[in-house]
Amino acid sequence: MPKNKGSETHSMPMHNRHLNVLLLWALIGNLQAAEPVMNAKHRALLKEHCVSCHGPEKQKGKFRVDDLQLTITNVETAEKWQKVLNAMNSGDMPPEDEKQPASAAKADFLDDLANVMVAARRTLGDQKGVITMRRLNRREYKNTLRELLGVEINVAELPPDGGSGAFDTVGSNLFMSANQIEQYQALGREALEEAFAWQTAASVTKKLHYEGETTTPKVKDFVKYQINARERAQKWVKAVDDAAAKPENKEIVAKIQEEVKNNVSRLRREWARIPGAPNPRTFGFDKKGENDADLANDSLGAGWLKYHEYYAQMPDVDRGAYLGTQTRHPAELNVNYIELLVPFDWPVGDYVVRVRAAVVKDAPAERRFLDFGIHARTGKVLNTYEITGTIEQPQTIEIPLTLTRANLSRDNRSLFFREKGSWDTNEEGGRKRAEAVKRNGIGPELALWVDWIEVERVPNAAKPVPPGFTALKLPLDDKLPAPAAAELRAAFERFATEAFRGTTPPPDYVDRLMSLYDVRRKAGDKPVAALKETLSVVLASPMFLYLAEPSPDEKRRALTSAELATRLSYFLWSAPPDAELRKSDLSKPEVLAAQTNRLLDDPRSEGFLTAFVHQWLGLDRIDFFEVNRALYPRFDSGTKVAAKGEIHETIAHIMRHNSSLRDLLKADYVVINRVLAHYYGIEGVKGAGYEKVSLPKDSPRGGLLGMAAIHFMGGNGERTSPVERGAWVLRKLLHDPPPPAPANVPAITRLAGKVLTTHERLLAHQEDPQCASCHRKIDPIGFGLENFDAAGQWRTEDSYTAIDATGKPDPKSKKAWPIEASAALFQGPAFKDYFALRDIIASKSNAFAHSFSEALIEFALGRPIGFRDEPLIADMLKQSSKKDLAIREFIHALVSSKEFHTK
Amino acid sequence: MKTRRHFLQSSTSLIALPALESLGFRRFASAATPAAPPKRLVFLGFGWGITTETWFPDIKQTGKDYTLPEGLKPLARHKADFTVVQGLWNKYSNEGHWGSTMWLTGANRFAEPGQTFHNSISADQVAAAKLGMETRFASLQLNGSENAEASGHGPGLSMAWDVSGKPIGGHKGPVEAFHRLFSKDTTPIEQQKAMLAQKRSVLDTVMENAKAMQRGLGKNDRAKLDEYFQGIRDIETRLAKDEQWIGVLQPKSPIPQPQEGLAGKEEIKIMYDIIVAAMQTDSTRVLTYRQPVSTLMTSIGIKVAPHDMSHYHSTMGEKYAASQQRDLVQSELLAGLLDKLKATKEADGSRLFDHVALAYGSNIRTEHNLDNCPTLLTGGGAGIKLGHNIVAPKDTPLCNTWLTLLHGIGVNVERHGDSSDVLKALIA
Repeated sequence: MPKNKGSETHSMPMHNRHLNVLLLWALIGNLQAAEPVMNAKHRALLKEHCVSCHGPEKQKGKFRVDDLQLTITNVETAEKWQKVLNAMNSGDMPPEDEKQPASAAKADFLDDLANVMVAARRTLGDQKGVITMRRLNRREYKNTLRELLGVEINVAELPPDGGSGAFDTVGSNLFMSANQIEQYQALGREALEEAFAWQTAASVTKKLHYEGETTTPKVKDFVKYQINARERAQKWVKAVDDAAAKPENKEIVAKIQEEVKNNVSRLRREWARIPGAPNPRTFGFDKKGENDADLANDSLGAGWLKYHEYYAQMPDVDRGAYLGTQTRHPAELNVNYIELLVPFDWPVGDYVVRVRAAVVKDAPAERRFLDFGIHARTGKVLNTYEITGTIEQPQTIEIPLTLTRANLSRDNRSLFFREKGSWDTNEEGGRKRAEAVKRNGIGPELALWVDWIEVERVPNAAKPVPPGFTALKLPLDDKLPAPAAAELRAAFERFATEAFRGTTPPPDYVDRLMSLYDVRRKAGDKPVAALKETLSVVLASPMFLYLAEPSPDEKRRALTSAELATRLSYFLWSAPPDAELRKSDLSKPEVLAAQTNRLLDDPRSEGFLTAFVHQWLGLDRIDFFEVNRALYPRFDSGTKVAAKGEIHETIAHIMRHNSSLRDLLKADYVVINRVLAHYYGIEGVKGAGYEKVSLPKDSPRGGLLGMAAIHFMGGNGERTSPVERGAWVLRKLLHDPPPPAPANVPAITRLAGKVLTTHERLLAHQEDPQCASCHRKIDPIGFGLENFDAAGQWRTEDSYTAIDATGKPDPKSKKAWPIEASAALFQGPAFKDYFALRDIIASKSNAFAHSFSEALIEFALGRPIGFRDEPLIADMLKQSSKKDLAIREFIHALVSSKEFHTK
Repeated sequence: MKTRRHFLQSSTSLIALPALESLGFRRFASAATPAAPPKRLVFLGFGWGITTETWFPDIKQTGKDYTLPEGLKPLARHKADFTVVQGLWNKYSNEGHWGSTMWLTGANRFAEPGQTFHNSISADQVAAAKLGMETRFASLQLNGSENAEASGHGPGLSMAWDVSGKPIGGHKGPVEAFHRLFSKDTTPIEQQKAMLAQKRSVLDTVMENAKAMQRGLGKNDRAKLDEYFQGIRDIETRLAKDEQWIGVLQPKSPIPQPQEGLAGKEEIKIMYDIIVAAMQTDSTRVLTYRQPVSTLMTSIGIKVAPHDMSHYHSTMGEKYAASQQRDLVQSELLAGLLDKLKATKEADGSRLFDHVALAYGSNIRTEHNLDNCPTLLTGGGAGIKLGHNIVAPKDTPLCNTWLTLLHGIGVNVERHGDSSDVLKALIA
């Protein structure tokens, strides 16, 4: 390509940029210090409070502030200002015995300085638009193997990407190490093993059918056993008691009584020391090497016999299984869930699981949900279904499932069905069970019924052969003769070309592959083993691992069509380009737009959307803690999975229909499934998946602020955190991120242990200027969201109970108060309740669009956003504003920008 | 070669042999008078810090006669054998959730213009460059088996960072660490050599590919690809080391193989045993352990989320109690480790404890406070004062302490991180 041509070819979207910038600033105002310049007015504070010790006369600590540059252009100046910020935040400066600045002035100073430091870090960290070559991140690596070989492998062993707050696509943060190179080869080998296994088992079918009533005879036999064992235990107890009552045994019995602190079952455990007491074994109690008396004692109680009898007399036990609570150890008797092990000799592949289930008549609404998952004991719930079928007319649910070589052990090939939330944890299951016993004397009423379950392996012969294998064209098992050298060489070259996304491997490299293969063959490997081993090296080679865009002369240049295809597909799929994209002429704007839409319509776009949304909105916090189940029993595992799904499904819906980004701030609809419909109390969901449902006018739901998962994140699983919520709204929705929590601010301790409302407690933030500088912006927003409890349910009252000296809540101290969601934004309008706050936030959709655009740019280009990106952001806002912020317009504007087309 | 192997097979010593032929031979020749036991350096880090009010001794009671604070009470029997240093910090640290990222490096995250993350070599790796020459593993990085973020450690693959400030991977949990150290390689020597040759030819292949790729790249991208080249070089160094150790049996483990699935308190306890075993068998002389905090709390029945706990000031009560409980169990575990270090004997009859320099602490004090980093030092290896409560001038670089330890074990580097000097008050 001739030099300098790039700028001409891609000058198209560059017109009128200055005008756009002006428009933009007029629209959103100066939301944050974008340039690292400290306002000159703050000189006054420094002059009055600092210069006498840190000025021309004295330089205590060898530090002076009078000559500090207001504009931060280098690391040294930044460090000096950081020192000022630290000293004032920690309260070290001005010294205690000196005159202190007025609170408001200090708060303003700290507010500005903290934001200027953020801007300075951004400017100093600016890569000046240069995109560093990067390796595939963990997700992309996994997806790339999937596209090449048709299999999904577990890449959890690879080190996580990012962690420094940037997107996992930012190249300068994606490192490489010796360990990793070895891991790539090991994972590549694993993927090849998996892929070969899929290819060789392509036509295998398997099917397993399980009838629910299999459980019934087990329960009935157990009931008989329990009754019989109880009788025997009673006889044994009587015999031991008789022996113990004999006068000649008085002394020994008294001694034992003392040892066992008068516990009768522990006394009986010592039967052998009481002359005349019979061996429990003679009553049929044999605990196989352990103390037989324990078994006798246990049988005396006949634990949960009533519940088992209740189960056995249910009307439809002859045709199916009921799902109840956990009573005995599951290995002894299990009426809580049905677990099916997929036989170990069934191959990897696509499976379908079918369950025919019903709900018993009059079951309460919250007990009509069925959890499906893997390994009941650790209880990983994969999905939850609402059951609407009746025992007369059960419904059949079909669940697609993929089993891979990662599903080789019992722990990850045992599928289970259980009533939602019935036994997520021992603590929670036990609590629900105890409540039911208190109510009815027996245990939780049986609500769900399973007719049968089927597990079937679906042959993958109909699926297209993955491109890696099409390229290889070699025998995949050793029954066929080994390929000749020339054939092999050509196969390596084709495979490497496919793996390197169209780049032909250098001949010397292919020679090396050939000699590797020979070495393996000479070492005794069969042809297929040597082949896999050699191919695994291709999957650890830099041309596979790195997305390279060569530019030996350091000049910025336009991307080639192939490079552009790669950039586009790693943006919108987090996966390599397919054949169609590779052969498209992406330099034509209409082709680019059509391909962008095709990529977004393809299911692979989930690879982009899920990861992007997760990182953009900071959703990792959802998995940082567990909810307190005693306080929020309805927020069980199934509901949490569904609530997290709502965020992703809503944004996927908006993307599918190219709806407006505004819908995320406020909407008259939600995208929910039946689990959430029940949780929110919203009618109208018809199918088993997520769907759009209209909301009544007065609903607090609709948009991100109406979502349970968002509010769950804004708390700690027990109490809400207005600070966490307010900061999240400023950061993600209003494009006004508070500076990171400063280090070394003295903590406010004097309120600890006091019974205060949330408002009262947070008022303390306003007293210290160090706190007020940020919290005056953060806290009011959090107050406006207080109607949502820590599990995202609507509430009108909150309460606080102090902990007494023994660490237990002291009920006498309990204070309840009605939620007051009215507050005023800092230097902004007042609002009377949540709805008014939501309207204010919704009116700032341009700020939200700005924040969204920045995130998209960073994610797509793989570099941190810089000041010079403002024109691009302006273009994106301009183009999307023409279509009411339709979400795809942002993407179209970005992928047609010069930045996206330039190395 | 034959003679040497013959010797190795007949050796009953637990001490692994040094790598180099000549050295091994020398050592063999002087086997009658065992050489002085080697120095070791160990760092134990816990992400979320400690309870400020009850972990630090009273700053007015400096020196030997100080009252042991509540949080260190389980260490009472070792009071004469450890020192608490107060007033240390990494002045560039500014991330309230990064308890380990810069703990051993003292780096300035923003030091590199045009980058948003920068780190530099960690103290353990400085030591490994010298102490690692003669052992099977130059250093060993251990991690908790949980997600490091949940335990407040911050970015990084372990607590160790290499000479270019890039993260070094670590072993997750006791089982992995145990296998790395003690799993027997029963492959015949000729086959091991053939496997080494194969590994080298894999490296040659990917190297060929990297060189071809490098030819087209600009300056920045070449710098990025250098990480790959560095990775290859590191593997080559390791292979060279493996080659030297071919035929040298993996040492017999002095402890049984740990169970799978241990978490929290049990996990740390076993990991401490592995650390002792690794030193006892001289498999390595430099160790770091990024301890789990989140699962530690779960394992002792604390329900407060760890980050929440570190913010105990807002409510005290339950969170404060949880924070104190965490201190106690951590101190109890450390006391157990010290018992073992004292009970384990070197070849010359001295205690392992006398040849170890061990630092225990975090870059976070409490909440987001990064000043007065909790620092507890123990072991006789670095010749430091033990049994003292040392109060350094406020804001003394933590790296001064690391430099003191490095000098104490014979690694005489000029400076480390942002060190300004050694910590003279610490030298015995």
